Amino acid sequence: MTDSVGDGGLAARGYSRPAGRPFWRLHFQRRITLWGIAFVAPALLFFAVFKFGPMIWAIELSFTSYDMVSAPTFVGLENYRKLAGDPVFLASLTNTLVYIAGSTVLITVVSLGLAMAINSQVPGARYCMMAMFLTNLMPIIAVCLVWRFLLHPFGLITQLLAPFGVDRVDWLTDSRTAMPAIIAVTTWRFAPYFMVVFLAGLLAIPRDYYEAAEIDGATARHRFVHVTLPLLMPTIFFVVVISALLSARIFLMPYIMTGGGPGNATRVLSMLIYETGFSYLKMGEAAAISVVLFAIMLVFTMGQMRLFMRGERVHG
Amino acid sequence: MSAVALAPPARRRRRLPAPLRRLKPWVGLVLLLALTVAFLLPILWMTTTSFQAGEKMFQLTTDWIPSVWHPENYPNALGRAPFPTFFFNSTVVSVIVMVGNVVFCTLAGYGLAKFRFPGDRWVLLAILCTLMLPLEVTLVPTFLVVYQFGWLNSYQGIAGPLIIEAFGIFLMRQSILSIPSDYIEAARIDGAGELRILWKIIVPQCRPALAVLAVFAFRDSWDQFLWPLTVVSVNEYRTFPLGLVAFGEDYGTPPTEQMSIAVLATIPVFLLFAVLQRWVNRGFGLSGLK
Repeated sequence: MTDSVGDGGLAARGYSRPAGRPFWRLHFQRRITLWGIAFVAPALLFFAVFKFGPMIWAIELSFTSYDMVSAPTFVGLENYRKLAGDPVFLASLTNTLVYIAGSTVLITVVSLGLAMAINSQVPGARYCMMAMFLTNLMPIIAVCLVWRFLLHPFGLITQLLAPFGVDRVDWLTDSRTAMPAIIAVTTWRFAPYFMVVFLAGLLAIPRDYYEAAEIDGATARHRFVHVTLPLLMPTIFFVVVISALLSARIFLMPYIMTGGGPGNATRVLSMLIYETGFSYLKMGEAAAISVVLFAIMLVFTMGQMRLFMRGERVHG
Repeated sequence: MSAVALAPPARRRRRLPAPLRRLKPWVGLVLLLALTVAFLLPILWMTTTSFQAGEKMFQLTTDWIPSVWHPENYPNALGRAPFPTFFFNSTVVSVIVMVGNVVFCTLAGYGLAKFRFPGDRWVLLAILCTLMLPLEVTLVPTFLVVYQFGWLNSYQGIAGPLIIEAFGIFLMRQSILSIPSDYIEAARIDGAGELRILWKIIVPQCRPALAVLAVFAFRDSWDQFLWPLTVVSVNEYRTFPLGLVAFGEDYGTPPTEQMSIAVLATIPVFLLFAVLQRWVNRGFGLSGLK
């Protein structure tokens, strides 16, 4: 009995049974391996049915015309060609990209700022953190409704800005301010979560580094640029990728706060997928938009995946 | 640290005069408090507005404490649409999703953290890939899958596609990785079965991660809007966000009552957070998983 028989190359990766171990031991080992597979199997099966299967189906559907009544008919690249010439799709694509860029940058900067404020040894900072985290737990629908009122031309924001000589702004109905307003609300809602992530990253930086830097005479700004930032890079990367993925799938905020308007100024791809698929029953075209949205998310995840696999190789 | 060596030569740090120096932590505290209040202001506004008289909404000064309290906004709002049913549906779905995530993410996380099997790294990569496949992307085909199952207008239809999230698996895996394998080996030698090891050794040690997972899974399901909107078409199975939006679109329903529903919708998530807070606090360190 050799180790490499039927073990799927486990032996080659260093899971071989040590020389001289009796036969039942290998059996024991194999039983454990089977348990491992059994633990992971439900999740894999689930993902096959609800994630990978549908994605493959979406790609397939995107080459067809399908209205759920008659069988799908193959139309080749027609759906994509139609999208490329559709101004509403192009506007939604641009909006989605602008939204992803805007909220990712703002979330990363604000949450890092908050984490550093919490981390600054101020008494009671922990309680401030818990309080701020509540915004992340508030149901998004409540967030949208509340902010729709706050951003109303006569709402609280206008009242608060009045003493600073800011005139009434139609935040959500002006095509120049609607998207920035939604990005700001997104940041308000999600930054506290990433603040917690950053805080964990900051706490993992050994204090000695800062003390050493201080002894060398580094100012606060230098300590931030030369100690904090480089050591926080993996966390920053994680936050950027996850918040980009979060923003790519945004639906409710523009749906409730602006309805995609004014004009198409805040229409995003997920809204378009829903409308095309379920209001107009153009499933094929909706699938094509899904594929585009998927491609965007793929780009953002590629980097994370490479980093992840590298990390696995080191620690795994 | 070569990076530090690049810093400019030591500068004498300007020292604040003694009384100011003593004040310094307080300045930080005041700033941090101001920031916290700024973040909490909308939640505060939501709460007070829910007790406000309808016509007070858009006066140019906000009454932070209502001059006349209108607690009747709550029963009024609940009576305008079948909100008790909507909240019940949301609760059923969110509890199913929460339990599903806690159970299956723990199993998968344990399997991936402490077992080696052929292709385990590919499994990990595949699960990472599902982060790119949220329901918004696979909306049309997932709808068709659920339709094939005959699950339209049912709890399993709303909850089904949310039962397992990749985030939870990574969270649990990260947490279980830090448990020494010796414990598991020792238990095996003592003849404990694999499920017993999971229940007696693994689960008690990852309570913080489980608490974080429970809160996030519940919240994510509680927040779902697009998916229930797609698969539910009868009031009997509508969840509260759908009801709340339909309610807001009716002209003549006072926005203050909308805020009452929003407050009621916020309470369960805050409550769950409060109940699990002891563990969540410790689990927070884990949510920075990569």
